[in-house]
Amino acid sequence: MLSHVPYRRFDDGFEDQYPSVISTPYALADPAEISATYRDVLDNSMFAARLGFDGLAFLEHGQSSYDMSPNPSLMVSALAYATEVEGLEVALLPTGRALGKTAEPLRMIEEYGVLDAISNGRLMAGLPVGLPYDAAVNHGVPPIEIRERFEEGFGLLQRAWKEKEPFPFNGRFSQRSSVNPWPRPVQDPHPPIWMMGVGSPGTMKRVASEGWGYQLMGLLGAKVMGSRLFDMFWKIMDEAGEALNPYRLGYMQPICVADSFEEAEQLYAAHIEYFYRRGIGNVPPHLLALAGSVPPIGLRAILSNPGSSDFGVGTKMTSMHFREFVDAGCVIIGSPDQVVEEITSIAEEYRIGHLLSILAMGSMPAELVRHNIELFAAEVLPRLRDLWPESDWPNHWWPQRLGGMPAPGEDDSPASEEAR
Amino acid sequence: MSVTEIQLHEVTLKVWGGNIEMHVKRGGSGSPIVYLHGAGGPDWDAFLDDLTASHAVYALEHPGTGDGDLNAIYEVESLSDLVLIYEETIRALELGAAPICIGQSMGGMLAAELAATFPDLFSKLVLLAPAGLWREDLAPREWLTSPPEQMPQRLFLDPAKPEARAFFALPDDPDEALASQIGTIWALGCVGKFGWPIPEKGLCNRLHRVTTPTLVIWGDSDDIMPVGYAGDFGKAISDSRVEIVPESGHLVQVEQRQKVLDLVAEFARA
Repeated sequence: MLSHVPYRRFDDGFEDQYPSVISTPYALADPAEISATYRDVLDNSMFAARLGFDGLAFLEHGQSSYDMSPNPSLMVSALAYATEVEGLEVALLPTGRALGKTAEPLRMIEEYGVLDAISNGRLMAGLPVGLPYDAAVNHGVPPIEIRERFEEGFGLLQRAWKEKEPFPFNGRFSQRSSVNPWPRPVQDPHPPIWMMGVGSPGTMKRVASEGWGYQLMGLLGAKVMGSRLFDMFWKIMDEAGEALNPYRLGYMQPICVADSFEEAEQLYAAHIEYFYRRGIGNVPPHLLALAGSVPPIGLRAILSNPGSSDFGVGTKMTSMHFREFVDAGCVIIGSPDQVVEEITSIAEEYRIGHLLSILAMGSMPAELVRHNIELFAAEVLPRLRDLWPESDWPNHWWPQRLGGMPAPGEDDSPASEEAR
Repeated sequence: MSVTEIQLHEVTLKVWGGNIEMHVKRGGSGSPIVYLHGAGGPDWDAFLDDLTASHAVYALEHPGTGDGDLNAIYEVESLSDLVLIYEETIRALELGAAPICIGQSMGGMLAAELAATFPDLFSKLVLLAPAGLWREDLAPREWLTSPPEQMPQRLFLDPAKPEARAFFALPDDPDEALASQIGTIWALGCVGKFGWPIPEKGLCNRLHRVTTPTLVIWGDSDDIMPVGYAGDFGKAISDSRVEIVPESGHLVQVEQRQKVLDLVAEFARA
């Protein structure tokens, strides 16, 4: 389950009055409501863990009112301890800590070490490059340097996870006379690595060569943008000679469950509109591709195909209505049967092994989120588990303590060989 | 994108220990002028055309922009390295006499940095609405994060003027239009690297070193770099004169071309 930490109380018409949810004046905030939001999100994460969800994920968004999660390690840290105390076997995925934006890669490496220690080996290491506006506007990184910073930070992380002795690191963006983080991750050789992406072929190629898992951050409508990006991913994996193992691919998807579609519409429609119009859909598209953040070859791909479905319905979300969001696949909603059928259809068509379900959207009150989580856990989750049998498809991108298999090349077992 | 009838020559120069190939467009003859473009990238326009009537004009293209290697930008690590790369390029042109340097916006900031670092490099300096300074009460507009559709009214006082329309017009040929769009966006990224997130990198500490005679020209209605900075440049550079051009936005050499040409001609003669 992937959770946002959204401000839930913006008035009707917010989207017409304010230019975006990443420049919202703090004068609109009610501190008591903000505190209650964190409590509700953490409570409901624990609620989901107790009901048998496989993992809990948080995103990284600085200075934004739609997801008040400037550092996902903070939320994950609280849950790492609480789930460990209760003996809940859930994986923990901070999808963020973008190495392309942080001025302190060593701090991020230390944080992941701490999270893996507190959770005793349940960390999945999310390693995004970084959203252009978040890196550039919130962290002052020139857009053209974001990817270079990611590469340097990743090099530091690889070395820090491997070396047992202190070493000097002379990077362009960070210099340290002695690198020796305590703790290193408890997982051996390291936690599974997940790249987050929005569909750049260059990133997918990197995923193929590094053995990482890939989460497509496709909030913008699977039916609109899905086929092209998923097909591209598997084509790139195939060309790289990689096994077409569904567990390598994750997809995040808002989902609403009720007894019937009609009831679901009644319960959730207003909150879905809030989620997109006063939330994620209200990030100006030009800030997602700031000049310099997309290399010329990527610009050519985007500009030569202006109607390209890769951006989903992202450019017109603040004026869309419930039915349009449903039609675009921005939300999968309905009775358990309808939801299972639709998720199964997407998962089978695009070979998706990891589903990051988004069950809390925008202004949804905590009780309604719990209702959604409860129905999903009881009526949907059990019917999705066997979609991709792990006997056929070893999950190398999952913590070993929770049943994950060692990464190919780090394990010579027949199942691993066969999969390749 | 403008159409020129002047015969242009492409000059390429290997600099920075052979690691960067700088591209320079040359046109006209007479005493040399070096032109440093702004964040929108190189564009040989009517202003440069007109300058060639009495000067040999050398328009330098920022690493990563124009006709050069798009990846050259990754070879330039810092503003101080960029200053040295431009200095090597200008000296490698072997102009004989020290040229007049005209720099616009981010190019103006670079021109001022060059003049502060190498007092003998230029005979005269013309700064067209240069970036480089910062005042709390006059924050420059964040042009790299402004919505593209707002750029006409940001850059021009009167975006309906033919000069303004021509500035944003794309070539008819779709392939050329695409290349032009990509070129502009990538140029913003390449040049913006040295002015991000705020185009103030300590120039105020170095401006006192500028001894080159300097003419500061600013549009009176600049919506990108507020005209209030004109006086600050004038105060900080000892041998300088400030000219505020009426009825002009940021791209003063486009919106009030003839007035700027007259000011430059008079300054060049003096």
